[in-house]
Amino acid sequence: MKAITLLFFTGLMALSFFGCGGGEGSRNGAETRSERSSGRIDVLGAGASFPAPLITAMADEYRGVTDNRVTVNYQSIGSGGGIRQFVEQTIMFGMTEAFLSDEVMQDVEASTGGRAFNMPITLADVVATYNLPGIEKGLVFNAEVLVEIYMGRITRWNDSAIADLNPGKELPSLPITVVHRSDGSGTTNIWTSYFSRVSDEWKDRVGFGTSVSWPVGIGGNGNEGVAGAVMNTPGAIGYNSLSYALLNDMAYGSVINASGNTIEPSFEATTEAANIDLPEDTRILFTNTPAEYGYPIAGFAWMLVYENLDDNNAIRNRRQAEELVRFVIWSITDGQELSESLGYARLPEAAVERNFEMIREIKWEGEMIGKEMLQEVVS
Amino acid sequence: MKTLRQRNIRDNLMVGLLYASTILVLTPLVIIIGYVIVNGISTISIDFFTQELGSPSRAMQGRPTGLVHTILGTLVVDSLALIMAAPLGLGAGIMLSEYPDHKLNPLLRVMNDTLNGMPAILKGLLAFALVVKPMGAFSGLAGGVALAFVMIPIIARATESALMTIPWSIREAGLAIGLPRWRVVLSTVMPAARTGLVTGFLIAFARAAGEAAPLMFTSFGNNYLPNRWSGMIFGPVDTLPQRLYSLAISPYKEWHAMGWAAGVVLLVFVLGLFFAGRMLTRQKFKV
Repeated sequence: MKAITLLFFTGLMALSFFGCGGGEGSRNGAETRSERSSGRIDVLGAGASFPAPLITAMADEYRGVTDNRVTVNYQSIGSGGGIRQFVEQTIMFGMTEAFLSDEVMQDVEASTGGRAFNMPITLADVVATYNLPGIEKGLVFNAEVLVEIYMGRITRWNDSAIADLNPGKELPSLPITVVHRSDGSGTTNIWTSYFSRVSDEWKDRVGFGTSVSWPVGIGGNGNEGVAGAVMNTPGAIGYNSLSYALLNDMAYGSVINASGNTIEPSFEATTEAANIDLPEDTRILFTNTPAEYGYPIAGFAWMLVYENLDDNNAIRNRRQAEELVRFVIWSITDGQELSESLGYARLPEAAVERNFEMIREIKWEGEMIGKEMLQEVVS
Repeated sequence: MKTLRQRNIRDNLMVGLLYASTILVLTPLVIIIGYVIVNGISTISIDFFTQELGSPSRAMQGRPTGLVHTILGTLVVDSLALIMAAPLGLGAGIMLSEYPDHKLNPLLRVMNDTLNGMPAILKGLLAFALVVKPMGAFSGLAGGVALAFVMIPIIARATESALMTIPWSIREAGLAIGLPRWRVVLSTVMPAARTGLVTGFLIAFARAAGEAAPLMFTSFGNNYLPNRWSGMIFGPVDTLPQRLYSLAISPYKEWHAMGWAAGVVLLVFVLGLFFAGRMLTRQKFKV
């Protein structure tokens, strides 16, 4: 039978598949035997691209801390995607630079009977990046100039409004190419929330959110898309998180804050900006911060976790839930040690306290596992 | 009247044009392969095939990092897809070629072409709704389903045209000695057309192996090997085209280099498959 030739080829493919997937391929579903015996757990999270380098570095470190027992797989799909997949319950935790809206909070409460927690994990700082041949970093912007540029009313770099802020700088007569994010993004949320706080016109005409309808400009997908567009277009201005700008050697500007001080972006200035009273659920935007030496375009990056972990479809069993909670606790305490070396601002003490309060509320089938895990760490 | 000389000149000119167009067609292919290899080969090391990716700081600090989980994941997801797509695609192709008068055939043909022309990202969306949502997890299985949608129409089309090349008299010979129709197809037509069929599988496999879009929200991606082998099927899995994309858009030079290396591996993988398939069919011919 020559048809066997065909079957042989298909079989070859099948063989390579079973060669890889064989052995334990048949065991799945709830808590498997091998999971119990080896004690190994996979934790899946996804969301904002800005904290991805920090979270994946934490995952690397945590894997070592737990002796390869817990693998945290974090995929960077943007804040919009993170919220979406968190609500769809396909991931164990989400990550976002924009806290959940009241509407989403209510939806989650209606569908799971518990709250969705927004836990600050790190701080996000957004800087104005630009590409001006001959001009390095250090241009000074203020709120009005940035809003006017993004409104499309300042169209040339040698506009007197920019020149007045930067005496002694040779500004070229290049047209300004405005670059913004095309995907749903927490960076956009911080950037536009700053604009909305300093300009009533922006607030009424455009508003703020993870994606808005921009008056002008071209879109780039992700921090990397905006960075790419800015770096390849002389005369372009965009916005990126500070760590992306530093990594790519991009030129970025200082901003005059609400107190009238010219603030050069740095993670000290960012932590300073967060040095304010926090509400219980930490859902607060502190752009245009009142802090005297705070950088005005900054915000939290939050980890999203369900209060009732058993109601999240992505979490199969109690062990997974416990390991998730342990990882959250570790990442806001010991894990913060990684911050500075990777270019992130450390979480302020007040935010850590708020996180502990929320963790104490986390439940598995009604049992307060968050409290248990916290006690375990303290003891 | 044309002289022999004129005819020769004309002949040479035409042959020259044929050579020129062949070279023209092959040039982009050679350039792409060459460019990818030149950029990627220097990053390929033992670590690349034995280590997991982890965080970008691994690459930046020069700690070992690689794509072993991605290469294995690609094999698993693509093989899952072929296992699901091969019987369906074959069946559709046989139906179109061997039962041309069947009244459902025009519909099948239109639907097959529609499926073929549909953007791959929609196939990913379909797999998300069919597999990811009900199972509550991103999985290699979901990625396999998405890629199976890519493979089915290609296999069906290739099967149909391969079977059509077999003369009708061969079928008549089988029917004349009293074989039922299915036996004729299975034992005479399909073996005779095996080169075409295997080529169809290979083209489908290669096409699917290069797809990134349908995998984004199905197999999702992973920075590590799953803790258990079953995690390759029931958990999130990394695949070469998707990882290549995310490495390429990352802001790190080291990851860009790894992206090129992933391109080399993907290229060698696909070319190797074509080569193996060709060898396989040629060998069987001699028997």
